[in-house]
Amino acid sequence: MTQNTSVASSTPSLKTEALDTPEENAFRLKARQWMAGRLPPRVHGEPANAFEDAALVQRDKAIQRMLWDGGLAGITVPTLYGGQGLSQRFEDIFLEEAEPYRLPWHFGNAFNIVLPVLLVHGTEDQKQRHIPGMLRGDVMWCQLLSEPSGGSDLAGLLTRAEKRGDKWVLNGSKVWTSGGQVSEMGLCLARTDPTVRKHAGLTAFLVDMHAPGVTVNPIRLVHGGSDFAQEFLDDVEVSDAERVGEVNDGWTVAGTQLASERAGMAKGWHVGLRQAAASEHIELSPRYADLARQLGRAQDPLARQLAGEAWVNDEVYNLLAKRIGTGMRNGRLPPTTGMVSSLLVARTDARRTALLSALAGPAGIAGGDGMPGPGVGISRVTTHRIGGGTLEMQLNLVAERHLGLPREPGDDRTMPFNQIKHN
Amino acid sequence: MDVDLNEDQVMLQDMTRRFLEERAPIGALRKAVDGGAAIDRALWREAAELGWVALFVPEEYGGIAEAAGGVMDAAIVAEELGRVVFAGPFLSTCVVAMAIAGAGSAAQKQQWLPGLASGELLGAWAGAEGLTATRAGDGYVIDGTAAFVQDAAVADVLLVTAMSEQGPVQLLLPKDADGVAIEALESLDLGRRLANVHFTKAPSGTETVLNAHDDVAAQVERQFQAACALQCAETVGVTDRALEFTLAWCQQRYAFGRPIGSYQALKHRLADHAAQLEGAKAAAAHAARSVAAQAPDAAIAVSIAKSHIGRTSSETLRDCIQLHGGIGLTWDHDLHFYARRAVSNEMLWGTPAMHHERLCRLAGL
Repeated sequence: MTQNTSVASSTPSLKTEALDTPEENAFRLKARQWMAGRLPPRVHGEPANAFEDAALVQRDKAIQRMLWDGGLAGITVPTLYGGQGLSQRFEDIFLEEAEPYRLPWHFGNAFNIVLPVLLVHGTEDQKQRHIPGMLRGDVMWCQLLSEPSGGSDLAGLLTRAEKRGDKWVLNGSKVWTSGGQVSEMGLCLARTDPTVRKHAGLTAFLVDMHAPGVTVNPIRLVHGGSDFAQEFLDDVEVSDAERVGEVNDGWTVAGTQLASERAGMAKGWHVGLRQAAASEHIELSPRYADLARQLGRAQDPLARQLAGEAWVNDEVYNLLAKRIGTGMRNGRLPPTTGMVSSLLVARTDARRTALLSALAGPAGIAGGDGMPGPGVGISRVTTHRIGGGTLEMQLNLVAERHLGLPREPGDDRTMPFNQIKHN
Repeated sequence: MDVDLNEDQVMLQDMTRRFLEERAPIGALRKAVDGGAAIDRALWREAAELGWVALFVPEEYGGIAEAAGGVMDAAIVAEELGRVVFAGPFLSTCVVAMAIAGAGSAAQKQQWLPGLASGELLGAWAGAEGLTATRAGDGYVIDGTAAFVQDAAVADVLLVTAMSEQGPVQLLLPKDADGVAIEALESLDLGRRLANVHFTKAPSGTETVLNAHDDVAAQVERQFQAACALQCAETVGVTDRALEFTLAWCQQRYAFGRPIGSYQALKHRLADHAAQLEGAKAAAAHAARSVAAQAPDAAIAVSIAKSHIGRTSSETLRDCIQLHGGIGLTWDHDLHFYARRAVSNEMLWGTPAMHHERLCRLAGL
């Protein structure tokens, strides 16, 4: 206890502490004291997500459990479902206090996607059975959406769910499932009626990933890691009590799901990971200057151009994220502006990769200890240009929903699904 | 502009937009250009009555300045000016007024500020490169050429920066001063002509020296930051308006039986331009706010904005021409006035490449 107190009291006074009400400040001090000495420190460079690293995943489960025990899990979630029932202000306070620590980022799918979907579309029974488990750190979730036959055209999915008695039987395959190999549960979209137009024949289910008939295979990616998995569903039985929303109304559920995913990506996905963006002033990251010096290119005008542009590229995104956050809260910007943010994340990441690659030169394609080493030029290419909806889908979203441009015409949205061509 | 404007600022924005739509729409620029007219001084005086320059001038000299916050309000005006590619010398006159209000002697303030605030006098601001100041008695003699000076040909007072043996000095010279010759240049931006200002042993007495005591380099830097912040806000207005009517065009124009904006080959480009513009608005607002507050990151904020807005606005405007097809290449379409202003602004007061280099220095690289 002595140690906790000393760590907590040495924490520098945070920016918004002066604004706390007495109740907020009591919560802040409680959170500060609880986390001190219990949570592992935030380690610079440690991956936020690495689903193939079992130890890291287990540790995140333990961290989430620790937060639960300290009354810090699900801060804005109603108490009926195991949360704290507090306002967003308390969540922000928690994030300020949690800044020195590792947070359970492997629960990103659960908290950014599944939780909002359950709160909007889940039955009372589903909320009470499923939400406490994720808040306690017992149950990790994934979303079963994309399929080998296609990802962007989500409503064109092939996995079938057929009603047999009071159960549903699922058959098909899902792919690009983030964390599929370590998840206990999955939110699955399946086709329940192929004789109607494609958006009108889908239903959402909560699937036990350890149920008979579920096979999960990790996918090895270009960088060698395996954050994603492919699943095969062979006669997997799901109780009707695990159906989310009405039969054949799965597209409505998916709408919430995708919007939640985009909102999660826009705010940085890994809650608390982008604390730097809270700063009022621009602070140029030392990263590019350090790299230029390390490579002996500090006075090279070409390297300086690349470093300069890299700063501009990063900081414009940070300023935009702040602008959109403020503008959407105060209503000066339409809600669709969030899509612009997701698009600029993808563009910013891609450009950063290109600039870093050019700055590193050959040192970015081969090297030993302490040097950038292989892979600079293709790092993150997969994350924001494919994951969470391809760049091309994001461009369509911004163009059609935000700018109001017409869609490309196509029969697939009006014809019965079983009459349109697919893989 | 900023999404955090207060009520007064929103009012200023509305008032400015209404005035410009009524008194200085883009058609007015076209008429002035076709008629070969220079600046419409009567219109500028009307505009000045709305307090555009007075934002930087203290009350005792006929202004309404309350604090250093003038840059934020002026940026709001500048964005609106961009939307109509306004032809008046707003940016230069504001910077000159701000400089005199901040560093001028009582006599200099009395001489210039009331006229600048009321719109009777116009100012031009010339950077430090190319001019030398040699001691002559109590004053200086100026030699050299200040190149590409915005509004120099119409200005009544020039604020020039020259290098002396003791470092930079700033001087306020009437446009008809001895030894000063103004060479108007054929300019891409038809609403804002550039000029080379040649100085040949131009005498500058002590009464012309702006602030002989304090850190002149810091004073020049503040002017540069304000100029860039206002210019960025203006370019954002230019790009915003041009993208609005390009979007409308892509919704109305049909090809192969449907609006051209329904084709992904076009709509994806528009989505990217809209995303970059949103980033430009964020960067411009932050630059104006930081400069107004003289925040520790003001220099960085300005260079971030100048680089991003310079590069993406020109790219967007060039692509707007492409998205318009043949009509975008005609003199009669307004688009070229917008493209001319965007590209000119990119090149003036530091290209993106120059600001990248500046960022490296600011970061200690």
